[in-house]
Amino acid sequence: MKTYSVTFLPDEKTVQAAAGKSVLEAAIVAGIPLNSVCAGEGVCGKCRVIVKAGKVEAEPNGFLTRREIQRGMALACRTFIQGNVVVEIPPESRISGIPQLASEDAIRFGRISERVGDGAAFPRNPLSGKEYLELPEPSLTDNIADQERIYRELQGRRNLPAMQMGLSILQKLPELLRESRWKVTALLGYRGGTTEVIEIEPGDTTARHLGIALDVGTTTVVAHLVDLQSSETLATKAKYNSQISLGDDVISRIMYSRTNERLKQLRDLVVNDINDLITGLVMDAKVKFHDVAYIVCAGNTTMVHLLLGLNPANIRREPYVPCAVMPPVIRAAEIGIKINPRGLLLALPCVSSYVGGDVVADVLVTGMTDSTDLSLLIDLGTNGELVIGNSDWLVCCSASAGPSFEGGGITCGMRATDGAIEHISLLPGGETAECSVVGGGKPLGICGSGLIDAIAELLRNGCIDRRGRFVSKGCSAKMIRETESGEKEFVICPGKGTVLGKDIVLTEADIDNLIHSKGSIYMAAECLLAHVDLTFNDIKHIYIAGGFGNYLNIERAVEIGLLPDVDRNRFHFVGNGSVQGAKMALLSQDALHYIQVRIAGAMTDFELSSDHKYMNEYSSCLFLPHTNIEKFPSLKKKNRNLSEGARNSP
Amino acid sequence: MALKALDIFKLLPKTNCKKCGCPTCLAFAMKLAQKQANLDQCPDVTAEAKAQLEGSAAPPIRLVTIGTGNSKLEIGNETVMFRHEESFYHPPGIGVVIPDNLDDNELNARIEAVEKLQFVRVGAHIRSDIVAVENVSGQADPFAKTAAAVQKLDLPTVLMSKEPANIDKVLESCKDKRPLIYGASADNWEKYAAIAKEKQCPLAVSEADLDKLAALTEKVKAAGVEDIILDLTSAGISETLQALTAARQLALKKNVRSLGYPSLAISSSAQTAGEQVAECCTYIAKYAGIVLTGLHHPEYILPLLTLRQNLYTDPRKPIQVEPKLNQVGTVTTTSPLLITTNFSLTYYTVEGEVEASRIPSFIGAIDTDGTSVLTAFASDKLTAEKIAAFLKSDAVKDKVTHKKVIIPGYVAVMSGALEEESGWKVLVGPREASGLPKYLKTVWKSE
Repeated sequence: MKTYSVTFLPDEKTVQAAAGKSVLEAAIVAGIPLNSVCAGEGVCGKCRVIVKAGKVEAEPNGFLTRREIQRGMALACRTFIQGNVVVEIPPESRISGIPQLASEDAIRFGRISERVGDGAAFPRNPLSGKEYLELPEPSLTDNIADQERIYRELQGRRNLPAMQMGLSILQKLPELLRESRWKVTALLGYRGGTTEVIEIEPGDTTARHLGIALDVGTTTVVAHLVDLQSSETLATKAKYNSQISLGDDVISRIMYSRTNERLKQLRDLVVNDINDLITGLVMDAKVKFHDVAYIVCAGNTTMVHLLLGLNPANIRREPYVPCAVMPPVIRAAEIGIKINPRGLLLALPCVSSYVGGDVVADVLVTGMTDSTDLSLLIDLGTNGELVIGNSDWLVCCSASAGPSFEGGGITCGMRATDGAIEHISLLPGGETAECSVVGGGKPLGICGSGLIDAIAELLRNGCIDRRGRFVSKGCSAKMIRETESGEKEFVICPGKGTVLGKDIVLTEADIDNLIHSKGSIYMAAECLLAHVDLTFNDIKHIYIAGGFGNYLNIERAVEIGLLPDVDRNRFHFVGNGSVQGAKMALLSQDALHYIQVRIAGAMTDFELSSDHKYMNEYSSCLFLPHTNIEKFPSLKKKNRNLSEGARNSP
Repeated sequence: MALKALDIFKLLPKTNCKKCGCPTCLAFAMKLAQKQANLDQCPDVTAEAKAQLEGSAAPPIRLVTIGTGNSKLEIGNETVMFRHEESFYHPPGIGVVIPDNLDDNELNARIEAVEKLQFVRVGAHIRSDIVAVENVSGQADPFAKTAAAVQKLDLPTVLMSKEPANIDKVLESCKDKRPLIYGASADNWEKYAAIAKEKQCPLAVSEADLDKLAALTEKVKAAGVEDIILDLTSAGISETLQALTAARQLALKKNVRSLGYPSLAISSSAQTAGEQVAECCTYIAKYAGIVLTGLHHPEYILPLLTLRQNLYTDPRKPIQVEPKLNQVGTVTTTSPLLITTNFSLTYYTVEGEVEASRIPSFIGAIDTDGTSVLTAFASDKLTAEKIAAFLKSDAVKDKVTHKKVIIPGYVAVMSGALEEESGWKVLVGPREASGLPKYLKTVWKSE
C-alpha cells in the first residue's frame, strides 16, 4: 500500500502513514496528544485540525460550520490521508498544559503525616522498610547460611513471620556480605502475607528510602514522591493521562481495548506517563531511581485493569464483572515502570466494576468510618461515585455523569488547565461582572467549575428558565444570538478577548448536558439514601472529592441542584483523596489493612441501572435545581423567580 | 411494617464473611428486608438475634389462600401503597354473587354466564376467578343446593350467610375446597370463628369502623383463626374507599398487625350497572383483595378484568414499543432511516427529536428486550447482525431505496461490521437524540 508523509504544525513533526489512514491515527504515531473524546468514532467533534496542504478525503459531519470547512477545518478522525499532507493542530484540539492540582492540604484534613504516625489514626509502618544490619561474622560455632543470617537478624528486630528472598539477591549475596564486611542494609517490601527482602545494599543506606503515591485517573495522573523515613512529601507532579487520545471515558477505552495489541497500547501510554512523572519527581528532588522502592497506586477499576494489562471487557457488559478487585503486589518493572528494578507496586483494592480504589482511598482520607455520624462522599468526575456510611457500614454506587464536568460535550468546554474559565459571575442581563481564568491569561474555553458558575448565574439573573432555556427578555440582546442551524447561544466572552479570537459561547444543548450530569449525581445520592431509608437531613458531613477539588463553588452547585440544599457547613472538600489515600497506605501497613478489610471489603455496592426509582425519578432532576423546589428550601426563600418558573413550565 | 435493612443489619454479626453468598452483611440485611433471603443462610447469627428477627419477619399483610388446586386464589402480601414504588403482587379476585333464590333454570343460566366470563387479552388469559353464593333465602337447603351447583365452575367460593348453621351445613360437603366464610360480625363472631377453625377455612369479618374491626380480628385470631379477610364494604363508595385506603396504610406504614389482612368489598346493587362497574373499578384500583358484584354480563366484567390486568403488571420491567419500521411525517423512499432500540423511553426520545427536525424519516426500532442503546449494546442485544437482518427484511426493502442507515453515535464502533454485514452505507449519527435535528439538517442533507 502507498504511504504518504504527514507533517504536523506547529510541531513540524513528520510521520509516514498508509493511504486511507486517518489524521488522528497519524497524530498518535507522531506522539502528538490530540483531543478525542470518543476514541476516533467521529461523534465528539473535538479533534479539529486544519488541513494546510495536500490531498485528504473527509467524511461529512455535523460539527463544523460552513465557514470552518472553508478554512480547511476538519475532524482528524474522519479525515483520511490520500497524499502528502500538512496539518496544523489548533490549540483547542491539543491536550496540553498541566492539570490543576487539587491542593495538597485539603481544607479539613491537614497533612497526611498527621493521620499516620505516633498517636494518630494509624501507626507509621511503611510498606517498604530499610534495616541497617551489622551482622556477626560467621564462625565454626555459628555457621548458618548467609540468607539465614540475614533472616535471623531481621526477625530479631521485627516481627516477620514469613520472609522470601529472590534468586538474584541470593546469587550476589556471598560476595556482597563479605565485601561490605557484614555491614549491609536490607530493603524489605510488603507482599501480602509475606515480607520480601527486595534488595541488599552495602553499608548504611537507610537515609535514602523513597516511595511513590500515584493517582491513576481517567483524565489525570498525579504522582507524589514520599520520603519513607520522614513521611515528608518531597515533590508532586501531574499530567493528563495520554490514553485520552483513545477515548475520554472508561467505556470508550474499554471498547477500544478489544484486542491484545490495543490493550498493550493503552498500558504503554499510561506507563509512559507514569515514567515521565517519576523522572520529573526524581530530578526535582535530586534523588536516585534506585532508592524508590515502592509504589502504591489508586485508580478506578478500569484504570487499574488497563495499568496491569488485565482484560476489562466484562466491566462494560452486564452483569459488570471485573477481572480482579484485589490485584496482587507486583514488581513495578513487570509492567515497565522504572524505579528500583526490584521495587514493588500495589494497586489499592476496588469494590466493583464502577467503584474503584480511588473511592476507597477517598473514604480512608475523609475518616468517615471513624465515627457513628453519617457521612456522604461524592466523587465528582466523568463517572461519579457516591458512598454513604459511618463506622458500622458503607454503601456505594456509581452514576455515569457524562464528561461535562470535565468540559466534555460542551461547545467551548475544556479541562481545568491554562486558559479555562474557572469562575465567573454575571450582571443582570448576562454581562460578565467577574471572570477568572486558570493561569491568569486570556480565556480559551470553560471548564466544569466555570460552567456550573455560569449556569447558576444565568439562572439567578433570569437569563435562563428552570428548564435551562434562554429567556429573551432576561438577556440583553447582544449576549444572545442564533446560529446557522437555528440554535440559541449565549456569548460568555466575545472573541476579541479570547486566545483563539473566537467567541466563547454556551448553547442550550450545553446547559442540557450539564443538567443531565448534575441530575444523575443528585438522583444517585437520593437513591442510595433511599436504599438505607435515610434522607439528606440524616447526613452530618458531605465530602466532595474528585477533579473539581476545591474549585467548586458549593453555593452555585446547590443552586443548580447538583448538591443538596443542606447547611453549607456540612460540606467539606477532600482534594485529591486518591493520591492522599495511596500515600497513607504507603506509609502504614495498618492503613492498608484497614482499607482492605474495613473499607473495600465492607462496602455494599448498588447497581443503579437496575433501580427503578432511579429510572423513574431521574427526569425530575432535569430542572434547575429540581422539579420539586421544596427540596431546595433555602433557594425557594431566596429567589422567588424559581417558584414562578415552575408554574410556567410544563 | 417489616424491619428496615439497617435495623436487621444491627443484629447480624457484621463480619462480612460472605458465607451467606452476599458480599457484605449489609447486603444480606437488605435481602432479608426484601424477603429475598432466609436468615438460615447466615451460619453465625446469634440465637437471640434470630428470635428477634423472626418475630418481625412476618409480612405486613398476610397472604391468604381461598380455594384449592389450580384455581386457588392467593391475595395479600402487598408491600406498597402505590404501584410505582415497587409493584402490586396479588391481583384481587373478581367474582359474581349468585343468590340462592333462583329456580333451577335461572341458576343454570347464571352459572353458565359466569363460566363465560373469561377472555384472552394481549396474549393473557383473564377471567372472573371467584364466585360467591348468597344465602338470600335464609334457609339451609336452597343455600346448600346452590352452593353444590356452583361447584362445577371449579372456582374458589365465598359462602355468604347470616346464619352460621347454614354455613356449617354447606361446609359438610365442601370444606376441603377451602371456601371463604362470610361473615363474622361483633355479635356472632364466636360461632363463625369456631366453624372456620374447625373446618380450616378463611373467614371474612365486618365491623362498623376500623377501630372496632381491629379489635374483632384480634379476638378472632385469639380464637384460632389465622386466615382473615377484612370486609370493608361501608355505606357508600367514598366510605368504602376510605376504609380500604386507611386499612392498607395502617398495615403498611404503622405496622398495625390487627389490620394486616387482605380486604373485600361488594358493590351496591342499588344503582345502575354502569355505576356498579365504576364502583368495582375504584375498589380494584384501591387495595381490595376481593371485589364482588351482582353483575354477571361480560360487558360489565371485562372492563374490571382489564383494569386489574393493567394494574397488576410489574412496572419495573421496561416498557417496550413494538419492534418495527416506523414512519415520522410524510416519508418517501428517499427519507432517512434511523436505527434505535425498542425501549419506549429511548424510542420516543428519538421520535420527538426527529419530529422536531421536520424532516420526514423512518425509525427502525430494533428488539432489544426494551433496553436502551448502550445497555443493549453492552449486553449484545443491539448487534450489527441484528440491524443487518432488519435492513434486509421485507418491511424495509420496499420502503427505503437509498441503502443508507443512520446508527446512534454511541454504537459507532459497529459501523464497519454493519457495512460488511448489510452492504448498506452506515452513517454515524449523534450520541444524544438532541443532536438529531442538527444532524439531519446538515449531515444528512449533504449525503
